[in-house]
Amino acid sequence: MNNEQARFILRAYRPNGRDAGDAVFCEALRQAQTDPVLGAWLAREQAFDTAVTAKLAAVTPPPGLREAILAGVRVSTSASRPWWRLAPWVGMAASISVIIALATTYWIRSTGPAPADLDQMTKFALADPFSAHTGPHADKLGALGAWLENPASRISAAPPVDLAQLKAEGCRAISIAGHEVFEICFQRGSWYHLYLARRSDFAAGKTARAPVFVDQEQRSAVTWADERLVYVLMARGGAEALRRIL
Amino acid sequence: MGSDTFTQLVDANYASLYRFAFSLAKNQADACDLTQQTFFIWAKKGETLRDTSKAKSWLFTTLYREFLRGRRRDIRTTALEDLPPDEADPPAPEVDVVSAMDAEVVMAVLQEVDEVFRAPLTLFYLEELSYQEIAEALDIPVGTVMSRLSRGKSQLRAILAQREKAARDNVIPFSTQKLRKTP
Repeated sequence: MNNEQARFILRAYRPNGRDAGDAVFCEALRQAQTDPVLGAWLAREQAFDTAVTAKLAAVTPPPGLREAILAGVRVSTSASRPWWRLAPWVGMAASISVIIALATTYWIRSTGPAPADLDQMTKFALADPFSAHTGPHADKLGALGAWLENPASRISAAPPVDLAQLKAEGCRAISIAGHEVFEICFQRGSWYHLYLARRSDFAAGKTARAPVFVDQEQRSAVTWADERLVYVLMARGGAEALRRIL
Repeated sequence: MGSDTFTQLVDANYASLYRFAFSLAKNQADACDLTQQTFFIWAKKGETLRDTSKAKSWLFTTLYREFLRGRRRDIRTTALEDLPPDEADPPAPEVDVVSAMDAEVVMAVLQEVDEVFRAPLTLFYLEELSYQEIAEALDIPVGTVMSRLSRGKSQLRAILAQREKAARDNVIPFSTQKLRKTP
């Protein structure tokens, strides 16, 4: 092995010494111990690598990321785990929950659910810790997906939405205060999250056809409505990112 | 997997995964999304991984695949064959120069390295995975990892040297990273 070959191999040798036992590096390391030129090169290389490693380790994740990961996964797994994989006692608890849910549904139907709240839906979209492209994306949604990702489409111009299809194949179906809301994740350079709900779920006069923009920290949302649906579009690029595709 | 074990897995890996994601995606929001998405996939599928000692490697592999999947299809990854010849012995800045730089600056420099080199280089500097595990994570041969590390380090040194020279000459460095498309 000549020095050039040894250098090639040793450039993959981690400065923390974890690779010391790897046979691939042994011969090159022995050569560096006996050849002063190669030894000096390795010392410089290791010092440089250590300095870069230290800088990389100093890059800190944004505050709240850990909590968002834990909260998001907790919500998701509790909602998506099949019942037959749960322990029997959990199954019993689930059965009781189903009975309670049926009773509640009956009670709600007899008294009538409270109308959906657009503010609540918007706040959910802006704070949604799980808007991380968790399910199938727009590219799996056929005509609607293609329409959303087409640069020529204006999102506020009545997307070709089939709620039954969305329920079966959309990114996510969420229940907000007892009302179904569907989420679609799509890309137009960056990620956008479109939340849709039936307009009939909202109280008359509580939804506006004209777009209304809301900002919260790094996220922005715009809400609007048409005859059939209420829309909340969320993005992280500010209101300008929303206006570009609206 | 119990919630305590999952929390431990998150605590042990989320920062490194975020750094890897940040070097790939070049912005905080997408890096956070990628990190969250990786743990979500773990929560859904990770239990099927029998050898839990490979969890770390699995997480980095998944994050990288999600990055590739989420990227627009029309952006082609530059093939090694298309790359210009390696610079012969680029000027290497002193270690003190790197040490004197802010972590964010070093990360920004790393983000300027070509993507084909950046992924293995970042994994190497995170020191979490061996070159063999990096090869598995990126689905490339071991020899290719070594080659990309070698050339990636050359490129990193060259960019650092440019930054150092610009700082010495009191010139504001031009950073392609800060360019944003306008509608």
